[in-house]
Amino acid sequence: MLSNRSFALRMVLWSLLRRRSRLLVALTGVTIGATVLLGLVSLCYDIPKQLSREFRSYGANLVLVKDQVGGRLSHGDLEAARGALPADRLVGLTPFRYEPVRNNMLPYTAVGTYFDDVKLTSPFWRVTGEYPSKPGQILLGAEVAEATKLQSGQRMTIEGRNTSQERYSKDYTITGTVSTGGVEDGFIYLSLTDMEEMTREKGLIDLVEASLTSGGTPLSDLANQVRSSVPDLEPRLVTRVTRSEETVLTKLTWLVYLVTVVVLTLTMICVTTTMMTVVMERRKEIGLKKALGAENKKVAREFLAEGLMLGIFGGLIGSFTGFLFARLVSYSVFGRGLNPEFHLVPLTVLVSALVTVIASLWPVKKAMEVEPALVLKGE
Amino acid sequence: MFLKMLLGALVRQKKKHLMIAFTVGLGVSLATAMLGVMFDVGDKVNQELKSYGANLNVIPKGSSMMGDLYRLNEGEEGGGELSELESDFIKEDELYKIKMIFWAYNIVDYAPFLTVQVGLNGQKIPLSGTWFNKHLSLPTGDEVDTGMTAMKSWWALEGQPGDDNDSLGVLVGRELAIDQDLKVGSSFKVQGPYGQTESLKVRAIFESGGEDDRGIFAPLALAQSLAQRPGLVQRVEVSALTTPENELARRAAQNPGSLTRLEWDTWYCTAYISSIAYQIEEILPGVRVKPILRVAQSEGAILSKTQLMIILLTILTLLCSALAISNLVTANIMERSVEIGLLKALGATGLSISLLVLCEILIAGFGGGIVGYLVGLGLAQFIGLSVFGSTVAVKSVVIPIGVLMVLTVTFLGSLPALKTLLGLNPTEVLHGR
Repeated sequence: MLSNRSFALRMVLWSLLRRRSRLLVALTGVTIGATVLLGLVSLCYDIPKQLSREFRSYGANLVLVKDQVGGRLSHGDLEAARGALPADRLVGLTPFRYEPVRNNMLPYTAVGTYFDDVKLTSPFWRVTGEYPSKPGQILLGAEVAEATKLQSGQRMTIEGRNTSQERYSKDYTITGTVSTGGVEDGFIYLSLTDMEEMTREKGLIDLVEASLTSGGTPLSDLANQVRSSVPDLEPRLVTRVTRSEETVLTKLTWLVYLVTVVVLTLTMICVTTTMMTVVMERRKEIGLKKALGAENKKVAREFLAEGLMLGIFGGLIGSFTGFLFARLVSYSVFGRGLNPEFHLVPLTVLVSALVTVIASLWPVKKAMEVEPALVLKGE
Repeated sequence: MFLKMLLGALVRQKKKHLMIAFTVGLGVSLATAMLGVMFDVGDKVNQELKSYGANLNVIPKGSSMMGDLYRLNEGEEGGGELSELESDFIKEDELYKIKMIFWAYNIVDYAPFLTVQVGLNGQKIPLSGTWFNKHLSLPTGDEVDTGMTAMKSWWALEGQPGDDNDSLGVLVGRELAIDQDLKVGSSFKVQGPYGQTESLKVRAIFESGGEDDRGIFAPLALAQSLAQRPGLVQRVEVSALTTPENELARRAAQNPGSLTRLEWDTWYCTAYISSIAYQIEEILPGVRVKPILRVAQSEGAILSKTQLMIILLTILTLLCSALAISNLVTANIMERSVEIGLLKALGATGLSISLLVLCEILIAGFGGGIVGYLVGLGLAQFIGLSVFGSTVAVKSVVIPIGVLMVLTVTFLGSLPALKTLLGLNPTEVLHGR
């Protein structure tokens, strides 16, 4: 004699197996729902972060200078600033040192920086030729290149005086020109190490540009954090960039959220209708069961168990495909993969199970209200 | 006979057909909403990105931006002096032409600038004349309002916005205001480079978060009279809606001459930043137009990413709703095995059965589709209004795409189920399995 529970289990399994094609239809429905759910929710997590990174192409949003006018920063200040800013939000931190120099008696401004950091904080630079990679190389602003008629590969002499009025003069090879349509076009860029060697003065920095992604602590609070932990530094927000980013990013994030809500609601309703159709066509079966003496409760329980199993399986499969969906979008749009958010899997399974159970409840209830004889008779 | 059966089936199986109509309607509304948003999101985001300010800088051919560089060495070079040559300036009364280029509608705003160093309590302060919100009447009959107020939307203003007709009302940068103890409404005297003294009134104090905070912004006429350069401006900032750059645009930007005739036409008739720059150079002789890459490049990147994201989301959700619809149709057909068996037993051919079932489903789907389309329009507007504060212009191309999608999906979705059903043996089906 089979126990009650194992009998119920057999009934459920049997009904699932017997109607393989119907099962497939229902499972597909649930899986689609779960795919959309997990995919969109993980994108919702991810897209604002990724977009915020894209917005960093506008350049630095925080500038650090010495807190007294005309003062200069040291390498220590740079490292202190790096320590005071959250590493996971810091896209780049670039020091700049400006020196008035001359070439052929004409005045120019030479800028010492680290080019690897510039590539991170100012991705909008359009460099014809190459960035300097070795000592003794410089990058000309487009205006300077035009004024001096110098080209990549040629050499340029830079001379000037350091703060203790000692003269210096050095030959550099031009590796390329940079054009941005802004002030950068009028500068001569060389690596900070080269500049320190040339001027025989180490450890001077005029300004540090920081590029930070948004999300979490607001930038103004971060600025205060830096101000209090490194007293010499005066952080300034680049309002032009931060304010605009705030408005545009909020709107884009809202767009993604709204689209998600709309798509999710509609998909869930779709799943519900499919489930309803699948259960509704089994009125005959319900009638037969009732005629054989099954209690309403028991029949309902069986159907709900079936729905639950469908929900769980569909949810699991959907979690997997949904992750692929999100990964596909993230990879093709932002060129970056997506970390699986495992805590979303139980949520997806739960929601799928709930939707299927709720979707089966109504038709089952409807079917049970009918007299078995009527249902079995055909109409 | 066919019609009778069709109508009969539609009326008798109301519930099932309603369900199909409902699901198809949902799918269609989803498709309409997403497609509507997809086609319009580029324009909307582009408009939003205008808050980053100008993406084109118009300067006279003779001058260059080296002036910015010299300002750094002002002390020793005695720089900041205005050029004596008229070719180093742009004529103010020609500026309306910017609104008459091929891509005139993509020019959102523009404003000219003329900066002159004025003396204020012994200090040299840059005073920039500009249009705040200038009204232009174009020869084409169009009326345009443009100026700096719209372009520098990130400025935090305390007081009244600038007014071109208030000839002595100026905007003062916050750092300068603190330095000189100026308040909104207070008056102060400045000395022009040619010795004139003007008494100015502070209309507002602004904070831009940049260099501008140490300067004064005034109506253009005031700056021109102080500089004694009537009718001239130094540069014009232009904010234009652009298409993200591609390979063609990059090649054209380097050398428009390298393009073939056809490529050149494509380039000229697309709103690339480089083609807009080229067209402004064409219409204003003696100027050079430089894209401000910080803005232009980032705009392109963000725009193309957002568009791609929405397109992908749309395609994936469309796929999902298509699957959901065909899934439901399959479920619907399968439960009709008895009915189809009976029809077959009565001698109906496979073709006529398929036709009957398909017609029923298509009619139900179509009905749902129309309602869904309307709902989708509403949803698209809802998204547009709540995110961007403006309605989404749903392109008419959405309708054929939607109709085509519903027809194909319902049709293709029913085929496999129909095929299985037609293959069934009527006796078996009628017997009850």
